[in-house]
Amino acid sequence: MENKELLRKRVDELAARVGGNVAEGSDNLVLTVNSQYIIETLEAAKTFDGIPCDFLHDLAGFDAKDHFEVVYQLRSWSGPQKLRIKAIVDRDNPVIDSATRVWGGANFWEREAYDMFGIVFKGHPNLKRIYLWDDFEGFPLRKDYVTEPAEVRNITRVRTDNE
Amino acid sequence: MGEASTEELIVNLGPQHPSMHGVFRMVVHLDGEIVTKVEPKMGYLHRGIEKLAESRTYQQFIPYTDRLDYLASPCNNLAYVQTVEKLMELEIPERAEYLRVIFAELARIASHMVFISSAALDIAGWTTWGYPFRDRERILDLFEMSTGSRMTTNSMRIGGVQNDVPPEFWPALQSFLEDLPDMLEEYYGIYLGNEIAMGRMKHIGILSPETIKDLSLTGPVIRASGFDYDVRKAEPYGIYDRFDFKVPVLNGCDTYDRNMIRLYEIEESGKIIRQAMENIPDGPVMAKVPKLIKVPAGEVYHRVENPKGELGFYIVSDGTQKPVRIRIRTGTFTNLQSLNKVLIGNTVQDLIVIFASFDAVLGEVDK
Repeated sequence: MENKELLRKRVDELAARVGGNVAEGSDNLVLTVNSQYIIETLEAAKTFDGIPCDFLHDLAGFDAKDHFEVVYQLRSWSGPQKLRIKAIVDRDNPVIDSATRVWGGANFWEREAYDMFGIVFKGHPNLKRIYLWDDFEGFPLRKDYVTEPAEVRNITRVRTDNE
Repeated sequence: MGEASTEELIVNLGPQHPSMHGVFRMVVHLDGEIVTKVEPKMGYLHRGIEKLAESRTYQQFIPYTDRLDYLASPCNNLAYVQTVEKLMELEIPERAEYLRVIFAELARIASHMVFISSAALDIAGWTTWGYPFRDRERILDLFEMSTGSRMTTNSMRIGGVQNDVPPEFWPALQSFLEDLPDMLEEYYGIYLGNEIAMGRMKHIGILSPETIKDLSLTGPVIRASGFDYDVRKAEPYGIYDRFDFKVPVLNGCDTYDRNMIRLYEIEESGKIIRQAMENIPDGPVMAKVPKLIKVPAGEVYHRVENPKGELGFYIVSDGTQKPVRIRIRTGTFTNLQSLNKVLIGNTVQDLIVIFASFDAVLGEVDK
């Protein structure tokens, strides 16, 4: 219980510094910040005094219709603390600093978020599509990505007489 | 003698290569026989599961999770249904909880058995290949008699499990557990205790603790590098806090220990199943859940310990029947980031052995 209060205190301090917003999620604390403060936020969370959230467990893109979010799930190698950090990214100009300088493990996940949402991670060592082919058009996990209806997708073929 | 330098050679390994365990592809840069750079290429098995999820209801998505790590599908089911249940704050019957643990641990054993077979095959251990596959067949038979399917079991539901196991399940499971120690003895004798295997794998492919922390690696791979970290202990889910088991840890950091750790994990899974068998209560296996599930608006992240690393689901719901976003964090995909660290400086024949020790399953890598 003490841990939770300490984490809350540290997150509140951090939120005040970077102009973030703290909310109590159903499973853990959620800290929402603007994209320009993300590196400062992650570095601070990684080295929280007494309660470090030093394990980047997941990084994912999210389309909130009017903006994008990059969601970081933090855990710890040594304790039960959990924290979710959300960075708000502009939809028209989706650029955010790459977390690879804080955690090298963000590499593939950021490439995946770029592949699926078109979020550009500044400073990423190798920002290329990871699953889809290089000249694929569009970003499939965006909500405005249009998938063709099943009738169009299914290639139907009628047998000719001699087949 | 002066140092001879050779021209850089670029070799394309995979996607159709027997040692790539599926359709993984690596572009390997070589200086003579020494690996200087590795570029992993993935996506040959990409099915867009995360996108498909957005147009399916919560129940309809369960079979898709089978196809992530298809060698241990009950473990994936478990992760997904528990995430949805966490979001719905649903209590599930005791008997279902125990059945889930039994299934997940059986799947872990089956997955590790395939690992031992395929890893042995990569160093030409043709004899070893047959033994774990023979024993895994008994687990698949258990799955078949209780779910009707051998590999993609689709056994769990939101609120419980599909159905109770038939009466003949228990004696078959009992006899499997009785034979388990002998099986492990056999695998050790024929593969890991073998001098040739030791010579091929010891002190090769060193994975340092700093790399693990930096790259967020998980699973048996890190427990072979001295990390005492297992979600079943660190953040227990379901009823795992009721069982008495150890988290095996080895300190070799090398390919041999990454193989060896699987034998210990099979042993511990056997212990968990034995305890679950003894303590399983009678009762229903399904909670009262409406036919059409509407998950309350919100978001949740849940992770479980899968045979190949940690599997995490991040689900965002807007209160309707279909999810807004399902994000899947898979273990192998993340673990493969370390290839560039462990493979550099090794020879080509060692590359195959080291890659095998990561137990990559491409269903999980490519989603």
